[in-house]
Amino acid sequence: MKLKEQAKIAYLFIGFPLILFMVFTLIPIVFAFFISFYDWNLLVPDKKFVGLGNYVELMQDDIFWISAKNTALYTLFVVPIQTFLSLFLAFIMNQKLKGRAFFRAAFYIPAITSSVVTSIIFVWIYSKPGLLNFLLSLVGIEGTDWLTNPDTALFAIMALNIWTTSGYFMVSFLAGLQSIPDALYEAAKIDGANQWQQFWKITVPMVRPVTYFVLVLGLIGCFQVFDQVYVMSAGGPDNATTTMSYFVYTSSFQYFQLGYGAAAAVILAMIIFTATYVQKKYFPPDAY
Amino acid sequence: MQRNLIIVSIILLTISCSTRDDRMRLSSWVSSPSETKLLEQTLDDFRAKNPDIDFQFEPIPGNYSEKLQLMLGTRTAPDIFYLKGLTAPSYMSFDILQPLDDFIAQDATYDKEDFFPFLINAFQQDGIQYGIPKDFSPYVLYYNKKMFEEAGIDSIPTTWQELEETATKLTKDLDGDGKTDQYGFMVEPSIEMAMPFVYQNGGAFQKEDGALGVADDEFIEALDFYYGLYQKGIAATPMDLGTTWNGDAFGRERVAMVYSGGWLLPFLNDNFPDIDFGVAFLPAGKKQATVAFTTAYAMPKTLKEPENAWKLFSYLTGKEGMATWTSTGVALPSRKSVAIENGFYEHPIFKTFIESAEFALPLQVKYSERGYVESGTAMQKIFLGGKEPRQAMIDLAKRIEKYRLVE
Repeated sequence: MKLKEQAKIAYLFIGFPLILFMVFTLIPIVFAFFISFYDWNLLVPDKKFVGLGNYVELMQDDIFWISAKNTALYTLFVVPIQTFLSLFLAFIMNQKLKGRAFFRAAFYIPAITSSVVTSIIFVWIYSKPGLLNFLLSLVGIEGTDWLTNPDTALFAIMALNIWTTSGYFMVSFLAGLQSIPDALYEAAKIDGANQWQQFWKITVPMVRPVTYFVLVLGLIGCFQVFDQVYVMSAGGPDNATTTMSYFVYTSSFQYFQLGYGAAAAVILAMIIFTATYVQKKYFPPDAY
Repeated sequence: MQRNLIIVSIILLTISCSTRDDRMRLSSWVSSPSETKLLEQTLDDFRAKNPDIDFQFEPIPGNYSEKLQLMLGTRTAPDIFYLKGLTAPSYMSFDILQPLDDFIAQDATYDKEDFFPFLINAFQQDGIQYGIPKDFSPYVLYYNKKMFEEAGIDSIPTTWQELEETATKLTKDLDGDGKTDQYGFMVEPSIEMAMPFVYQNGGAFQKEDGALGVADDEFIEALDFYYGLYQKGIAATPMDLGTTWNGDAFGRERVAMVYSGGWLLPFLNDNFPDIDFGVAFLPAGKKQATVAFTTAYAMPKTLKEPENAWKLFSYLTGKEGMATWTSTGVALPSRKSVAIENGFYEHPIFKTFIESAEFALPLQVKYSERGYVESGTAMQKIFLGGKEPRQAMIDLAKRIEKYRLVE
């Protein structure tokens, strides 16, 4: 009886978010899956059932493959770098440094700034007469126009994303670091371990659950990268920054091919699901 | 974090939707405060004359086409809305727009013959009129008078050859550091900017019989010339100069000549009031031609109050409303009589624009948006990836054939 009453109140509390989740997440996901078997332009109600037609067409669409390649490249670079960088930052920020609070805030600010705002700022930084090229010119290097050069555009966006998310994940690592008992470090010191050894032998294994969390979230975030591409390069130049989610967006809402876009989204979801599953299976959070 | 923000905004949106009244609606995109003011004034004039017709002006500030698509798809489209000339064929092919021929036939005062033919034809499919052009703007040549004087040039280029010679003279290294500081001309890796040259060379993106023209000799020759200006170092792209678009580069006096439309005039006036510039017809190739951009008013198939909607529609696209809307000359009237009445044929600057209508062609392709975007990508391959124009266009033709709209 008591439990039932408690459950009632619990449902009341989660009710509103649950409705939001249903309406804006679950139903659209199911609908996207459903629509991926149809040829639909969104404008008129009649949709033609095409079975796996959209998927077959996707497999023959080289722009889709380019987007898959870009997304994979992006994830491959961003996830390891941002994970290591945020752990490293957290390790430093966990020391008794002067101005620690200032640095913590400074590293976290990019994470709480709107991604559209940071993207626009970086459009200027990366432009030909921008800040980056000015700094490079001081050391005698002539920079390029980072966002319109097909060779550099994707890396420029990667760098921005690493900068914004490192601070965010740093906070997660900080929490993890603070839960490591000091006794371990003390014992290590007595055994003569230096800072570097302490970092690799104590810190890294002890924050493994946090690392797992950061990797999973980082992976999902990278596979879904969209805002920066939308604001900074619109997928260009020459499709150098077309990621899968950007491909989904353009197909669905610019080319009047909602079913086609939905099929690409389903494939993206399956890739993310598989990647996360592999991670859970082979790199579980609590084994060391 | 962002997801929460999105959810909150969606809730707000839903609330605002549910409380929306059932009045007739008119939607536009928002490009500049001065344009919004002009449109509001035109609508106020209409209200004063038709106090019994109730409607709401609901501008769409961002992502216009995405929102319009969703509204058309959910049967909540405004009763009158803007339709871009470039994408009009897609919309016309989907059978979601209201055919206007009956309205026009019943309205004796509505003079359809008054419109410039190339504009009114842009919104027809299979002989059915789906939109009425509200205005247009052709590309003209903007040139910096001071730079022309400094280089001792006293004639404005009228042919491709003269354009190249003039641009060469105007390309200068001002501070002697071995780098060009002032370019003669500006190119952009986009199809729109290359099209005047294609038209002047007798080519077309899509020929009259519907066949794709991008791999034709006329098209590729024009592209070779256009890209050649860039290769010879007498033209730059806006990105090369750290500017966002050619108007910006022209205003900052980094480039002596640009091709642009009427939208550059208020931009220069607001941001670079001191620049001394002139406008002229585009230099001709094998023939004289330019590209004109146009936007129409259209109505959805699911029109609620056809009679009242047509009253407003015919006012906006009629002589009176159009005279108000185009009074500042930034957008040029699609009706010849309004152009005469507003004195554009005598105006020192607008004269060039309105007379360009004689040889202007709209840019319109009966391909899905994807086909058009891919053609832009092909241009990027040439300018940014160094791909040879002929090969780029042959590849493009193969790629986009399947995106042709079925009629």
